[in-house]
Amino acid sequence: MAKIIVDGTEIDVPAEFTLLQACEAAGAEVPRFCFHERLSIAGNCRMCLVEVKGGPPKPTASCAMSVRDLRPGPNGEPPVVLTTSPMVKKAREGVMEFLLINHPLDCPICDQGGECDLQDQAMAYGVDTSRFAENKRAVEDKYIGPLVKTQMNRCIQCTRCVRFTTEVAGIAELGAIGRGEDMEITTYLEKAMSSEMQGNVIDLCPVGALTSKPYAFKARPWELSKTESVDVMDALGSAIRVDARGREVMRILPRLNEAVNEEWISDKTRFIWDGLRSQRLDRPYIREKGKLRPASWGEAFAAIAARVKAAKPEGIGAIAGDLASVEEMFALKLLMEGLGSKNIDGRQDGTVLHPKFGRASYLFNATVQGIEDADVILLVGSNPRKEASVLNARIRKRWRAGGLTVARIGEPADLTYAVTDLGAGPETLAELASGKHSFAATIAKAKRPLVIVGQGALTRADGLAVFALAAKVASSAAEPAEGWNGLSVLHTAAARVGALDLGLVPGEGGLDAKAMAAGGVEVLFLMGADEIEVGPGPFVVYQGTHGDKGAHRADVILPGAAYTEKSGLYVNTEGRVQLGNRAGFPPGEAREDWAILRALSDVLGRKLPFDSLSDLRKGLFAAHPHMAGIDAIAAGSAVDAAALAKAGGAIDKAPFRDAIGDLYLTNPIARASAVMADCSAIASGRVPAAAE
Amino acid sequence: MKDTLLRIFTWWNGATIGTLWHTRRNGEFVGEDEFGNRYYRTKGGKVDPALGVVRRWVIYNGEAEASKIPPGWYGWMHHKFDEPPQSEGYVPREWEKPHRPNPTGTAGAYRPKGSILNADTRREATGDYQAWTPGS
Repeated sequence: MAKIIVDGTEIDVPAEFTLLQACEAAGAEVPRFCFHERLSIAGNCRMCLVEVKGGPPKPTASCAMSVRDLRPGPNGEPPVVLTTSPMVKKAREGVMEFLLINHPLDCPICDQGGECDLQDQAMAYGVDTSRFAENKRAVEDKYIGPLVKTQMNRCIQCTRCVRFTTEVAGIAELGAIGRGEDMEITTYLEKAMSSEMQGNVIDLCPVGALTSKPYAFKARPWELSKTESVDVMDALGSAIRVDARGREVMRILPRLNEAVNEEWISDKTRFIWDGLRSQRLDRPYIREKGKLRPASWGEAFAAIAARVKAAKPEGIGAIAGDLASVEEMFALKLLMEGLGSKNIDGRQDGTVLHPKFGRASYLFNATVQGIEDADVILLVGSNPRKEASVLNARIRKRWRAGGLTVARIGEPADLTYAVTDLGAGPETLAELASGKHSFAATIAKAKRPLVIVGQGALTRADGLAVFALAAKVASSAAEPAEGWNGLSVLHTAAARVGALDLGLVPGEGGLDAKAMAAGGVEVLFLMGADEIEVGPGPFVVYQGTHGDKGAHRADVILPGAAYTEKSGLYVNTEGRVQLGNRAGFPPGEAREDWAILRALSDVLGRKLPFDSLSDLRKGLFAAHPHMAGIDAIAAGSAVDAAALAKAGGAIDKAPFRDAIGDLYLTNPIARASAVMADCSAIASGRVPAAAE
Repeated sequence: MKDTLLRIFTWWNGATIGTLWHTRRNGEFVGEDEFGNRYYRTKGGKVDPALGVVRRWVIYNGEAEASKIPPGWYGWMHHKFDEPPQSEGYVPREWEKPHRPNPTGTAGAYRPKGSILNADTRREATGDYQAWTPGS
């Protein structure tokens, strides 16, 4: 710790703190453009100048000088930093004047207007007039992809975007060319950035040089109502803020959550919103003579009731989809129990995970934050860059910190960090588990080995055997750190952990998702389950939000609410219970999903025991107490590796395949989104990534 | 009777009593355009000392609305040319459309796309969503 006096207040700060951090610790505000907590220090905007006694006799960029660089006074007095002195005021005014020399005065037509760092800081620290009468510089706008719009005249060359893409996103595609006044930010060949986290540069840009292309000129920040919610595009459950105008979601921004997403979100999370307004189911439909016709809720319920009453209890089944919240899955489970059916499954992808092996058997036990402690990471049938881009950025952060070995068994892919490929299939994993593989020694030596098991390894017929081997590998460290559980399952669906927590798996003698979809039941209830092909035979009731695969197959369609249109709990891959909030109302006659099930249960004569969402939550918390601990992770019971191994059986030789084919088209909302379709086309090379 | 009262109490229906009196005493009829507006100048083309040029004026047929003056007479009124259009052989250009007075404030006024005064249906706007229909 070092002593330092900031504006007359003496404080103790760690010696490695920068002056900027020390000033903030002392409560002084220091303006900045280029400095960002999660990026390396550039020191090129000069806005954070402070006056330092005990340092050089000129204003000092506080972001780039650390407390230990300062000398104490002649009698050992602590160094003094001034942030409000006349020298600092003049320095800031000068810097601001220089920045504004080449910055256009187009705030009224700039999308950043109202949330612009330069605008705010010019008001707070600038001068009111300009002495600059010459021409401003003009910079050509660059094409850097379908997501980020550039207005390069506005760029103040803080290089945050360059540092983000190189350091966090791990793609060296954005850079600066030229120097001085001629410096330009570009992708060199004007091609689309290939990162799936590129949208974050929009937030990072302190001015309006990089703005959101789909959101361009759609809304102003002050007319949006902001709702704090949780993302459901992947199993990570990133914290998001949904900005809506009326019932329409205008944009999605990240929210700070150190434990999950820090302050990044993936492009899929950020740009999914245009999918929320197209292909929406806004009224019930009934299939008559092979054709769907609009119907009223009463007619739809009556049609369902007629079929349900005609069916035997074991002839009724339900599958919960990837985006369902915990409440509606709980209601669905109660309804199926009421109907006496054991055919229920929340695992439409066919994963072998099962709550009977303990809660720890399907969680990312190391936790997302725990990735930063890991010293060896083994990826088994997982491509975290596709399955959870932000989690992949966390692994990259750990890798950049040094001392991390990443190995992979599965499909080779560029993960933005160095990965050793050990093999392609379960055989390599078996060798590793038995200690025959050379890499086994590395894991044995590790203190915190992290084994990330992806759905690519678990949705196979031999998934359990693979999982048992992975569990064995995870526990093969000779001296593991205390309390470390490195066996981590990376899910691909936001609803999956919640479904497993609730026990949405077939009961004794019940059919699983695959058997139900193949025609094992007479009435099949799909709750947003679109990733499963339902064969001919069952009478399909589809409850969902978008006209997708499920709706096309359905015999009765019940329009539900998308994740921004309902309040609901989601459990992320590490078992963290998170609350999503409602930003707007569902379209047309669509209703919140729990309410649909409650109304339907009444018609079916199996009335569910709640009349409101809070009643439902009370019942849910009573049955599953850990759901009440919002933002907390209830530790799971340890995995019984022996039981797993016994249940596992023999392994197959087939190599692991990635669970996600096209990252941008994994759910009905994404498939309805034009922006996601563009991204998908560019990522797959169907359209050229460069501007013509 | 109504016409007389309107002439006395309003200025925007034809000419006022004062103008009519002035026209009768000092005016010299020059011509009439296709809308029935009548154009006058001071008798004998006497230069008005206050203006420095000949005074020219119009008595509108109906409501006093300056945009009713067609281009030819507009030029004469503004002293762009001295002779009235018909005597000068004024011919509109072939690309000129027939003159229309400014329709602002009338039923013929321009309504932007999306105006609620438009008869046709409103274009898709914010807050709308695109509903799925079976078969799409």
